[in-house]
Amino acid sequence: MSTATVSKKHAGPSAGTHGVNFFRVLNSESIKFRTLMSTKLLMCLTFVAIVGIGFLSALVRWNFINQMVTVGRQGHKESVQQAVQSFPAGSGFDLYNLPNAGLNIGILIMGSLAVLFIASEYATGMIRSTMNAAPDRLSTFGAKALVLVVVSYVLSIVGGVVTFLIASPMFANFDLGLGWNTDGVIYSVFTGGLYVSGVALIGLSLGTLLKNPAGGITILVGIMFVLPFAGQFLAFAPGDFWKYVPQYLPSEAAGRFLSIGHVDGTLDPWAGGLVFLGYVILFMVPALIALKKRDV
Amino acid sequence: MIEAKGLRKVYGAKTAVDGISFTVQPGKVTGFLGPNGAGKSTTMRMIMGLDRPTSGDVTINGLHYSQHKAPLHQVGALLDAKAVHTSRSAYNHLRAMAATHGIPNARVDEVIEMTGLTAVAKKKAGGFSLGMGQRLGIANALLGDPQTLILDEPVNGLDPEGVQWVRNLARYLAGQGKTIFISSHLMSEMAQTADHLIVIGRGKIIADTSVDSLIESQSRKRTLVRTSETTRLSELLARDGVRVEQNERETLEVYGVEPIRIGQLALDNRVLVYELTPLTSSLEEAYFQLTKDEVEYHSHISGGPAAPGGPGASAVPDGASPAGVAANSSATMEGIQS
Repeated sequence: MSTATVSKKHAGPSAGTHGVNFFRVLNSESIKFRTLMSTKLLMCLTFVAIVGIGFLSALVRWNFINQMVTVGRQGHKESVQQAVQSFPAGSGFDLYNLPNAGLNIGILIMGSLAVLFIASEYATGMIRSTMNAAPDRLSTFGAKALVLVVVSYVLSIVGGVVTFLIASPMFANFDLGLGWNTDGVIYSVFTGGLYVSGVALIGLSLGTLLKNPAGGITILVGIMFVLPFAGQFLAFAPGDFWKYVPQYLPSEAAGRFLSIGHVDGTLDPWAGGLVFLGYVILFMVPALIALKKRDV
Repeated sequence: MIEAKGLRKVYGAKTAVDGISFTVQPGKVTGFLGPNGAGKSTTMRMIMGLDRPTSGDVTINGLHYSQHKAPLHQVGALLDAKAVHTSRSAYNHLRAMAATHGIPNARVDEVIEMTGLTAVAKKKAGGFSLGMGQRLGIANALLGDPQTLILDEPVNGLDPEGVQWVRNLARYLAGQGKTIFISSHLMSEMAQTADHLIVIGRGKIIADTSVDSLIESQSRKRTLVRTSETTRLSELLARDGVRVEQNERETLEVYGVEPIRIGQLALDNRVLVYELTPLTSSLEEAYFQLTKDEVEYHSHISGGPAAPGGPGASAVPDGASPAGVAANSSATMEGIQS
């Protein structure tokens, strides 16, 4: 092709002659992720928050069990087993869920970071440079998504493991045999990572759709933290139907996904996971279409 | 080579670009001139595939921008000096951009050196002055050593040395056979840099020609006359219905009359004339002449304060603003008193 030979002649060896492909865009996005001071600070903060909140949350549970065992409820003391079973099943308070005790703070920060990862490019005008370098646009979204998923997953898993390492010895005095081989512990570590990654993808989609950091973060917080709160009021609505609605909210469905075992009247873990995955896709598809079709 | 055919962009009720067709040839510097809001930036954004044309088509070297396998080697663009994340350093910004095409970091250092950013390359781009931001944008455009360079108002905010550098760079790259497309509203700058001009007004192309022929086609015959008796000579000329303007002490600009007739008239009436110079229009004047009906955003300063007799107007006789042109053309004899 004549243009290729011409450009080769003029493009000195210094600029290279490579084309753009997904792996190069991925490299570019990972450089972008690593070269912002705010991102690095937020990463450290997220880790500290996951472990810190996780520790406090574990302390609350230890305290509750301790109260039941030493003081008791309405005059009569309970056994450790009774105390543990008095947590509502599948609501995330089970002891095997300890690795995810600080997960909500991770969701909040990683979700916001994901919104910022693209919305700040719109806010600063950087997006025009980005889209000129990778004009098919979708590769940029894919690369950003992959960077976020990997970072969220690794951060949540490390956070979860460290939380459990700190929290599980606290319960040793109850003789529950709580350890890595307890049912659901390993499961909840890995699903916790998936949950945070999924929220990051929703955040990235919101950032793409709204092009606005503040708007994107507000809506994400609304979906993940305000909706479940509002959902609790549905239980007061007349009729049985409304009682079953809140469990389909993104945060509730994902919460079930992190649990093990069947609980009557709620989604099974795998179904909860599918519902949550559905939400991720529900946000990602319009974001991808908008990114491709819209003027930058 | 950039080719636009029937390019049109409508934002809601407003037509920003109204079906324009043009070709930007390689080996030349092509200037893209037009008043604010004429559609220059929109056109450039459509060339770069950032905005989708409502209708029509634009290609670079035969392909749409997004169809190129290595777009940064094909086209380098400075569309907006602020297309940079404010919290990232200039060096890291360029490194991330270079990574998309596997351009080595040595090239990043090279363009930083070339654009004179070495001292501030590790600082956050958000703290850059307008001129530094502009240099970073140009560095970004040069990163892939592109075949085509598109620069939207590149000299905005640059110091004189920077302006000179951009001019030399554009000329040098055009000399290498590259396609250079520069938008500007600085006519004097374009007169020195461009070989070819495309003038746009209200989304339509109003001229597509070489710099020389644009000046020629729009020039009005004028003569500069220096005399100690400006009032008298003005009155004599006005008797024949000749248009006269006074912008400086003892200096008249006479329109549409041969110098020999002015000299004859002065001689017949014993008026001392000590300079008589035929004037050719500058590109700036030609441009105002061409676009005066196409300017979208007028500054509505009605005649009075900007009157040609005012001392402020004397330094720039050729009317540096559209308002100045409007005031000049309505100037009447009574305004002239030295």
